[in-house]
Amino acid sequence: MPQNEYIEEAIKKHGRQFNYEERMRKREAREAHKKSAYAQKVHGFKAKLYNKKRHAEKIQMKKTLKMHDERSNKHKTDDNVQEGAVPTYLLDRENQTRAKVLSNMIKQKRKEKAGKWNVPLPKVRGISEDEMFKVIKTGKSKSKAWKRMVTKATFVGESFTRKPPKMERFIRPMALRYKKAHVTHPELRATFYLPIIGVKKNPQSAMYTQLGVMTKGTIIEVNVSELGLVTSNGKVVWGKYAQVTNNPELDGCVNAVLLV
Amino acid sequence: MASSFYNFKKITVVPTVTDFIDIVLSKTQRKTPTVVHPNYKITRIRQFYMRKVKFAQDAFNEKLNLILTEFPKLDEIHPFYADLMNVLYDRDHYKLALAQINTARHLIEQIAKDYVRLLKFADSLYRCKQLKKAALGRMATVMKRQKDSLAYLEQVRQHLARLPSIDPNTRTLLICGTPNVGKSSFMNKVTRTEVEVQPYAFTTKSLFVGHMDYKYLRWQVIDTPGILDHALEQRNTIEMQSITALAHLKACILFFMDLSGQCGYSIKEQSNLFHSIKPLFSNKPCVLVINKIDVMRPEDLNPEDRALIDEIENSGATIVLSSCYTEEGVMDVKSTACEKLLASRVEVKMKSTRVNDVMNKLHLAVPVKRDNKERKPFIPDAVKNRIPYDPNDPNRRKLERDIELENGGPGVYKVDLKKNYILKNDEWKYDIIPEIMDGKNVADFVDPEIEEKLDELEREEERLIAEGYYESEEEMYDSEEEAIKEAANEINEKKSIIIQKHRTNKSKNRLVVPRTATFARPAEKNIEEKFKELGVDDAPLTNRKRARSTTREGDEAMRSASAMRGVSMVRDPSMAGLKNKKQKMEAISLMKKTTKDIGLKSRRGEADRSIAVKMPKHLFTGKRGVGKTDRR
Repeated sequence: MPQNEYIEEAIKKHGRQFNYEERMRKREAREAHKKSAYAQKVHGFKAKLYNKKRHAEKIQMKKTLKMHDERSNKHKTDDNVQEGAVPTYLLDRENQTRAKVLSNMIKQKRKEKAGKWNVPLPKVRGISEDEMFKVIKTGKSKSKAWKRMVTKATFVGESFTRKPPKMERFIRPMALRYKKAHVTHPELRATFYLPIIGVKKNPQSAMYTQLGVMTKGTIIEVNVSELGLVTSNGKVVWGKYAQVTNNPELDGCVNAVLLV
Repeated sequence: MASSFYNFKKITVVPTVTDFIDIVLSKTQRKTPTVVHPNYKITRIRQFYMRKVKFAQDAFNEKLNLILTEFPKLDEIHPFYADLMNVLYDRDHYKLALAQINTARHLIEQIAKDYVRLLKFADSLYRCKQLKKAALGRMATVMKRQKDSLAYLEQVRQHLARLPSIDPNTRTLLICGTPNVGKSSFMNKVTRTEVEVQPYAFTTKSLFVGHMDYKYLRWQVIDTPGILDHALEQRNTIEMQSITALAHLKACILFFMDLSGQCGYSIKEQSNLFHSIKPLFSNKPCVLVINKIDVMRPEDLNPEDRALIDEIENSGATIVLSSCYTEEGVMDVKSTACEKLLASRVEVKMKSTRVNDVMNKLHLAVPVKRDNKERKPFIPDAVKNRIPYDPNDPNRRKLERDIELENGGPGVYKVDLKKNYILKNDEWKYDIIPEIMDGKNVADFVDPEIEEKLDELEREEERLIAEGYYESEEEMYDSEEEAIKEAANEINEKKSIIIQKHRTNKSKNRLVVPRTATFARPAEKNIEEKFKELGVDDAPLTNRKRARSTTREGDEAMRSASAMRGVSMVRDPSMAGLKNKKQKMEAISLMKKTTKDIGLKSRRGEADRSIAVKMPKHLFTGKRGVGKTDRR
């Protein structure tokens, strides 16, 4: 009955097959041919996966080869003087060109003009009402069409109470409501899963803002008390704005960048 | 085998994370439909993608469940194995890995649920596809986090498969002692297992199991790695395996000792070890095996060391000497240990309540003594007086073998088997009777009463001849045969005439009138005559005819005398299905009897109106659509 490390034991006791080394060497030498034969034979989904893997492997291999080449290569150091290079004795001098100063000033001014509404995603794709809402036919003979269902992700505040269902004009489905968002702090380069406080502005239209629709580029307010941010006068910040960076209705989650 | 319960060789391979994800995703791709177009109805598109998401979740679930069910649960297996696994793989680590797999399964389930919900609101193929992609991606991400647990479980699986299959409940000898005292050599001597033996400590790094036979029973011998004498916390994994075996297996403990000090441990150290691990086998049979007696025997010891050995002996261990090198006393060790274990096992069984069940079935009858007469077993005199056979005695009985030797030994002399035949006449002994004659077995034809039977037959024959039986028979035979032939000819002739007639009729070019429609049926009309003509007895036919034409008694009685013959009889509906008045009365009384109870106690009867189910489920379940209840 084989037990424990019986394979190693057997090798230790009896040694390997007499042509073991030879076979191993040959197998290794044949490997490349085998792989290529397989790559040519395979098709369909498997081919897609395999080629992708192979591609990545090849790139990696080329990179390592190049690195090895560089190590052994002898190459000249280039003596060309680069543009704008300064001799050592002039290094600590300030030589700001006039043009540069001017352009900086203009930039500064533009920045100020833009004010606080400088956001990571300045432009958004327009969304028509057809896309945003689905018309729901009502009435006994389904002849009335004044009801709408929102087909995008929404935020609905906790205190929200529905109107009587008969009167309700806009339906926001439960499945598309979100309470939390993945918010990235651009400086910390970290992402947190924070509760949403409200929708500040939807760039598409004021009505969407009111409805709490979250599309790409929407500014939302998130609860950052978890992050422990403090204002200049020592107060704990708990609400902060963030901009939605993905299409929540396509991804099934809300991603946002914190505006700092 | 009983130990198959503790066979961990059948756990399926745990794939690595990348393989795992590839398996599931390609399975999803293979086994779900792949063609969808944006101009399909949106419900169809949604359904297409929902199926993909659900299928992927199912595939993940199935694979993860397999892992969870196949790996042994530490709380459910024998404590020996549980402890061994704790020593080898760390209990916490193992449990955590399985728990994480379980969590991953839950998470994937949750993700699938969420995304199916989202898919219900998707309004385009693009959106459906994106959601499906997100769902599968998130499932894969959850799995990627299980990378380490999966790798760990695969390692555990491989190691488990190589674990010796020890049955914790069977008869077991457990070999233990300090390193290098000859435990594995003894194992190799006693069983067919090949355990590596080397002249350095800790050659054996794990438990080994071997099997042997003693008293026609199967015995399990377990070789353990050597143990050093230090605290339990300081012991390493190799030693801990021995400790678990010692602690959990109900076995006979063979503690090996080397007096010569070749192993590198003094007698003092070895006896200290014995005393420190003593609590582990306090109520198990224990044998102290003094090994390597070819180098040093206990008699040669100095009194101090001798005292140490005696101390061990006093604590309940039996001392046995052996040398695996010269094989002296090895069998002695084996038999002593086995006997000791057997005795203790029997003792335990006697103490248990189960033994009563067996004891109750046994009854040894001891008759009460009637008188003082002695009643001894009867032995015939011939047997009593027979001289026992003794090959050295010159006057001994002559055996067939002796005769054989006298006549030239085997191969030359053929032993005479025929001379002891018991037959009626001794002369027949050497008669030659072939076994098979003319291709037939002679024995099949041997009948002791054959003469009598033959006589009987002959006598009967004579009698028959005398009676003239054969003469008359012959005459009759001739006439009968002729008569049959004649009849047959007649029949054939008639048949052929009929056939010809039929054919001529058929071939005429005219309308074929069915037999039933013909006005007169001449065949039926004079059927009796026809039968007579044929010479066939027509009694059954005429009887049948008569039976049909006679009226029934009952009908006669019911028909009133004044009714005209032409008016058909009106059937009484209350008589439907009943033969006569008597039967009807019986039926009425039976009905009254059955309905009596219902009427008296005003119970619900068959005739009452009833609603079987108040709210049939299929009519009252399901969500309301948007346009119900007060017309929205």
